[in-house]
Amino acid sequence: MRNSRSSRSPRISRSPRRAVTAAALAAALLALSACGGGDDSGSADASGKVEGEITFQTWNLKANFKSYFEGLIDDFEQKYPDAKVKWVDQPGEGYADKISADAAGGTLPDVVNVSPDLVAPLAKAGLALDLDKSAGKYEKEYLPGAWKSHQVPGMEGTYAFPWYLNTGPLFYNKRLFKDAGLDADKPPKTFDELFTDAEELAKKSKGKVATLANVPTIEDFGRYGVPLMNKEGTGFTFNDAKGVELLTKYKELYDAKALDGQALTATPESTGKKFLTEAVAMNPGSALDLEKFKKDAPRLYENIGITPQISNTGKDNMYVMGVMVNTRTKHTPAAVAFAHFVTDAQRQMSFAKKVAIFPSTKGSLDDPYFTKADGTDETRVRIAAAKSLKTAVNYTPVLFSEQMKVELRNAVARALQGKQSPKEALDNAVKACDRLLKQS
Amino acid sequence: MKSTAAASVPAATGAPGPSASGRRSRPADTAAPRPRRIRRQLVTSPWLFAAPGLAIVGVFILYPFVGTVINSFTDKRQLVEGKYVGLANFRELLHDDMFWIGLRNSTLYVLVVVPALVVLPLLLALLVQKQIPGITFFRSAFYTPVVASIVVVGLIWVWMLDERGLVNAVLEAVGAGKVGFLSDQWLLLFSAMAVTVWKGLGYYMIIYLAALANVPRELHEAAAVDGAGPVRRFLSVTVPAVRSTMVLVAALSSVAAFKVFSEVYLMAGPTGGPAGEDTTLVMLVQRTGTGLTGRVGYASAISVVIFVVTVALMLLVLRADRKEDK
Repeated sequence: MRNSRSSRSPRISRSPRRAVTAAALAAALLALSACGGGDDSGSADASGKVEGEITFQTWNLKANFKSYFEGLIDDFEQKYPDAKVKWVDQPGEGYADKISADAAGGTLPDVVNVSPDLVAPLAKAGLALDLDKSAGKYEKEYLPGAWKSHQVPGMEGTYAFPWYLNTGPLFYNKRLFKDAGLDADKPPKTFDELFTDAEELAKKSKGKVATLANVPTIEDFGRYGVPLMNKEGTGFTFNDAKGVELLTKYKELYDAKALDGQALTATPESTGKKFLTEAVAMNPGSALDLEKFKKDAPRLYENIGITPQISNTGKDNMYVMGVMVNTRTKHTPAAVAFAHFVTDAQRQMSFAKKVAIFPSTKGSLDDPYFTKADGTDETRVRIAAAKSLKTAVNYTPVLFSEQMKVELRNAVARALQGKQSPKEALDNAVKACDRLLKQS
Repeated sequence: MKSTAAASVPAATGAPGPSASGRRSRPADTAAPRPRRIRRQLVTSPWLFAAPGLAIVGVFILYPFVGTVINSFTDKRQLVEGKYVGLANFRELLHDDMFWIGLRNSTLYVLVVVPALVVLPLLLALLVQKQIPGITFFRSAFYTPVVASIVVVGLIWVWMLDERGLVNAVLEAVGAGKVGFLSDQWLLLFSAMAVTVWKGLGYYMIIYLAALANVPRELHEAAAVDGAGPVRRFLSVTVPAVRSTMVLVAALSSVAAFKVFSEVYLMAGPTGGPAGEDTTLVMLVQRTGTGLTGRVGYASAISVVIFVVTVALMLLVLRADRKEDK
């Protein structure tokens, strides 16, 4: 028996070794696959000395504003000689994925440029510092609406300093309006006026010119006056009668070819291109677009009309950018001081003069830069936008994730194609979004 | 452990002669015993040489693979550690309309693209195989799409197939009217398939050219002497001669087709076409699992399904090949 075992001994002896190796490997893999946790949170107390090296991450700003940020960092380091700021910039594409990977890997920078929908999951994961507790004294410097924009329903606190705001007018092609027999100086202001004009334009052009190139988004539902979420922030409500009414109107537009045929797969870039080539009559934009029209589509620029966003609520939609502080930072006072420094009135005003954005600090929008006309279209757009921002609302609910946007978009597409009734499509979308909300 | 280690010692010194099981002794058994150091080196050296490769495979293939399988049984999200949920993710898949749409589209992609990529490059290879002046230009031209960036290629095709693009302008000029290549769910999917086939032709053509170079000319001459025409010679001489290459192409293209992402993503947009009807399984993984609120556990379950189907496809192709051999 011994001999028999001996003759096969190499195989017998390797098996346990293999098993041990495999077990060790599996254990290592399991341990690795479970990584990312751990509690290495820093202090929430921002009252100490401003010192140490912190990392500041922006969202696609280095290419155009390198000198502005380098100057800003120099100013900060001069004010606080014991603090040092390392600036990193991430591309616009896949920014949420980058933050997600950093957050999971424990490498999230100390100070991060975020939007409200990005800050919500970070706050829920305990990675965004509650500024009401750590930096509440600064609240009075900002517009109340802007400060609230980084509050998460169901959670106490504010999780990012408001930074720049953006909104834009609606551009329209006066020539296409005139060709359809419409008054080019009286563009639509409400959704009802928009639907009437759009149908007329499609009829007169025999379906060749659509008025819009985009399906309705959550912001459109908001501006139509549809309640988007319940007060507790625990469920979506955009499937109510008003929501169904809006989608039914869009279905009529789609059938009448007043909504572009490729709207169901459109992206902001593709709709912008269609407006540029005069295939659609209206498109939302910003003051930046005027330069593009002038350069790339001079014929369109000659006929460009500028009007406020279509709204039934009397309030425009605005986008808010924020700057959050990572709770795991080792230098909380420096991180909070820098986040405030970037977003204070002086710095926001100076940034706004470099690019078509608007400050979220109190009183800044009353600066002559945003109130005095100089006869140029750019200034006219800037003044109109600054005026609308005083009452504008960020209609996108903070908890409305990318996956939820896809659910709504697909539901809208199913309704427009006639595969589901508007009511059925919106009911399904709300059901799917509520499920995602519960899982988040 | 101890007894095993003890049992291995005599073998290491080569002490035992013929085994009790009656096996014949190997010459090595009668040779002088090797020093332990050399024997140890014989065992460790190959592993040391293989270590860099194994490390790469372990870190970039094995670890993510095992991690994905583990995650598929959890409710892990991007920023929240998951807990074990058993088969819940797989059960949810069964009731997820978008999963079935993805499975349908990915399967359809295989059914349409694979036959095209097995047959068309072979015909193309036969065309450019001939040694005539200027043929190198055509070989290069057919290969160009392979080296072109898929993003650039996708954007150009989107531009051409747009309602106001080149293709529709030509169709309108000949009175055929506009076609909604990018707005109809089926036309969009088939347009993406066409791009995949167009881009893959050159790659598989090169593989076929190598295989065709090994087909003995005498076989064609003998068939011609026996009165076989070009079609008969193709079916009875060329196809059997390159059959193993066809199997290879079928295996490679079926795996690639089932995992399609870029072409459909670029042409149908991030939402996967109108109402997401052109979503493929890999697109669904990307959409479900990424972002700050991404459901990693659920996306991992979809990935496991893709892995199982891909392995099944490979086995199917290999089995079909073995049957042919018999």
